[in-house]
Amino acid sequence: MTDVVVRTNRAKAEKHSLLVMKGHGPERHRYLSRTERWGLVFILPFIIMFLFFLVIPIIYALYDSFFTTRLIGGTVFTGVSNYESVLTNGAFWRGMLRTFIYAAIQVPVLIVIATFFATMFDMGIAKWGAVFRTIFFIPFAVPTVVAGVMWSFLLEDPYGPLDRIIYDLGGGHYNFMGAGAPLLGSIIVIAIWEWAGYTMVILFTALRSVPRDVVESAVIDGARLGRVITRVKLPMIAPAITLVGILNIIGALQLFVEPEVLTVFTTNVSYNYTPTIYLYNQAYAAQEYNLAAAISFVLALIIIVISVSFVLLRRRKGAWI
Amino acid sequence: MTAATTVASAAQSPPTPRRRRPDDPSVVPLRLYGMRRGTVAVVTGLVVIFAVFTLLPIWWIFVNSTKTEPNLFATFGFWFARPFKLFSNMREIFANQSQGSLAQWFRNTVIYAFCGGAGATILSATAGYGFAKFRFRGNHALFMIVLSALLIPLTAVAIPLYILYSKVHMDSTMEGIILPFMVSPVGVYLMRVYISGSVPQELIDAARVDGAREASIFLRVAVPLMTPALITVFLLSVVASWNNYFLPFIVNNTTSLDPLPVGVYVWFQHSVSGGGYQDFYLYTICAGLLTIVPIIILFLALQRFWRGGLLLGSLTG
Repeated sequence: MTDVVVRTNRAKAEKHSLLVMKGHGPERHRYLSRTERWGLVFILPFIIMFLFFLVIPIIYALYDSFFTTRLIGGTVFTGVSNYESVLTNGAFWRGMLRTFIYAAIQVPVLIVIATFFATMFDMGIAKWGAVFRTIFFIPFAVPTVVAGVMWSFLLEDPYGPLDRIIYDLGGGHYNFMGAGAPLLGSIIVIAIWEWAGYTMVILFTALRSVPRDVVESAVIDGARLGRVITRVKLPMIAPAITLVGILNIIGALQLFVEPEVLTVFTTNVSYNYTPTIYLYNQAYAAQEYNLAAAISFVLALIIIVISVSFVLLRRRKGAWI
Repeated sequence: MTAATTVASAAQSPPTPRRRRPDDPSVVPLRLYGMRRGTVAVVTGLVVIFAVFTLLPIWWIFVNSTKTEPNLFATFGFWFARPFKLFSNMREIFANQSQGSLAQWFRNTVIYAFCGGAGATILSATAGYGFAKFRFRGNHALFMIVLSALLIPLTAVAIPLYILYSKVHMDSTMEGIILPFMVSPVGVYLMRVYISGSVPQELIDAARVDGAREASIFLRVAVPLMTPALITVFLLSVVASWNNYFLPFIVNNTTSLDPLPVGVYVWFQHSVSGGGYQDFYLYTICAGLLTIVPIIILFLALQRFWRGGLLLGSLTG
């Protein structure tokens, strides 16, 4: 019944648009402008909010970054001098380098783990897939701060349970957050704990959308399991892998909350541990808003350059994204 | 053999609804690959190890919320210790007002998450509909600008936002925290992708020919077809607002307006600054548990309604 209605309506619509196309000048104009107008009406609420809470703050920060506030003389235009002091600042670059190292380890490890489990669930090689996928996804619901608190206690020495286990096994006390310990490694573990399940679910969904016939014909051609995965399945979800890769790089280069929370239990997170911590300290502890604005732009620029070149690199290899 | 059938049926069950016919198993049976017998056991073992790794901190926070402060340090972290104090601990964290009120933080978080989530869903739905179904000058360019916002670090926005707020006296207000949560470029992207795929242009045209107004076409024709996307965007935005620490931390200076994550961190810092406040170690842990339980329940309850597939949109298609 509804089908019929829809079909006649569609016929009407086609007739209508035909009429419109056939040179009823003013009517055509009115129809198009109505759609144009309504399209703008629909996007307007979002665009207004987007302007107020994203675009204007960014423009304001950009404006701010060209000024310097002095104790005597007030705020004066100083051109690119804030940028000069950021780019020549060792503290900024040390934090940046640490964040690069962090991203260079965390993102690939995360993607490999997520892809591995997504593939195993998709092929049905792991048992009880639905249950485990739900379990893996749970950390997504845990705020980063709470994750930081939990892991701080777990890694604590001498009361933390992990240290206790190592001690009971005869390994002595080990302070995961101590002077010689690879603190960055602990942060990588925390970040993987937080994001592996979420990334896995995204990739799993992508794998599910690979048509069964493609896999079947590969199997009929005699492809073994590993070959089906590496030659058939994974190439088809390459766009999804690229996407989660880029999103994770963007997130990793903004590293802030995890090391910030760890400062409660360790003194090994310096004021410039990551660029975001550095800019936060410049803005609040040092009240250097203009310099902080310049730092945030340099950081944003670095993130944009890296993500865009990542996309271009894949595109040059013939992939679309 | 039984193993293979169990696996197949497990793989068929939701969370992710499929577009395939129910009698068409989407998984090629394992035996066709000529896989070695041990593989399933080894892989399942790895999955179990990772599941233990995933659940360990959550198990830890639950176990330790039931302890007394001395037992927190004196007993093994991964197992219970008498006396069982979960309920009295929970009462105590609500009763203690010396470092801000947990009840207030909880209420704030519920308000921020719900309003932010609802606002983000409505704005993303209308904008996604506008971008997907209307041709107007600058449509594509505007959409690209919205998407490129994903590249901007939140820190580049939060601090100038705070400075602007303080100029218009919007710092330390509820609106100041909620309104930015409503701007969700990811939500707009997901909605646009979903609407392009599942709201047929013919239906819209037909309604237009019948003389329906654009607003009622959106509400009566498009919205009912968008339900899975609406639920997904709502859930993702609620979680994003519930868990957001950085933005409220920056733009808000009033303790009574803090959300739970900021409150938990305040207590955590306070517990170490010490001096007779030792109980705050325990309070931090209990407040942390209180923060994660509602969201985990929400997710498990709504799991079959929301679409992981939407996270990707049509990227794979």
